[in-house]
Amino acid sequence: MAIRAWVPSAEPFAQLQREMNRLFDSVFGRHFGGGRLQSAHVYPPTNVRETPAAYVVTCEVPGLAMDDLEVYVAREQLTLSGKREDGIPPEGATLHRRERESGRFSRAITLPGPVQGDATEATLAHGVLTVRIPKAEEAKPKRVQVEVQQ
Amino acid sequence: MTNAIDVDVERGPEPTAPPESYFVPATDVYETVEALVVLAEMPGVSPDGLEVTVEENVLVLRGDPAGPAGEEGDVLLKEFEVGPFYRAFQLPADYDTERIEASLGQGVLRLRLPKSERLKPRRIEVKAE
Repeated sequence: MAIRAWVPSAEPFAQLQREMNRLFDSVFGRHFGGGRLQSAHVYPPTNVRETPAAYVVTCEVPGLAMDDLEVYVAREQLTLSGKREDGIPPEGATLHRRERESGRFSRAITLPGPVQGDATEATLAHGVLTVRIPKAEEAKPKRVQVEVQQ
Repeated sequence: MTNAIDVDVERGPEPTAPPESYFVPATDVYETVEALVVLAEMPGVSPDGLEVTVEENVLVLRGDPAGPAGEEGDVLLKEFEVGPFYRAFQLPADYDTERIEASLGQGVLRLRLPKSERLKPRRIEVKAE
């Protein structure tokens, strides 16, 4: 699920939110509102949508260039892998905050139906990867003509 | 020199108040001999949607992601939401806010705040008597 902190608008809850943050601080020893939790979670955060013609997968991968990413489609499975190491401070620097994560990742997503892996298009813009995988012809919906009998 | 930018402030000064609801960008901050470097993750934000301000030594970062991407069709999986980013930091008085360099690449904002001349290490010449 979304890991980065969401600050809701409802004012009556703001106080509660602050109290909760303080509670989290005391338990986890860090500012809860200040980024991603250190608990185990899936990376990258991914949304999948289905249109009549394709599956559209979007992933938040800030800091990654296309060269850092590998995208494979095999049968009905999309695999994303790569390495995050952007922003590692130079030697001798004093670190004040480290909320961004780094390291290798690999994630496989199984799509619900057959696809044309060869026709997959992947684009990267402002740290968001969009992969468009067309459905196999036999999986696309077809309109059935209904004949009216007299 | 320590305690630099260790304080998140709840909100910036008035014209740079936070949006009604927002995401807090994951941020790295480190300090070199020359400058303070801030790296903030704002996926989906283009330079046009980004605003960085410093007022009363409060550094405010705001980012609005460009239009909805891949919004057509039915949702099968939803692990992230798209919305504005906001974060405010209290800066120590020792940075030259006139010379902040900012760049945005692959959804990561990179700020470089040079230290004031008087904070930089200086070699003192010792004269032999």
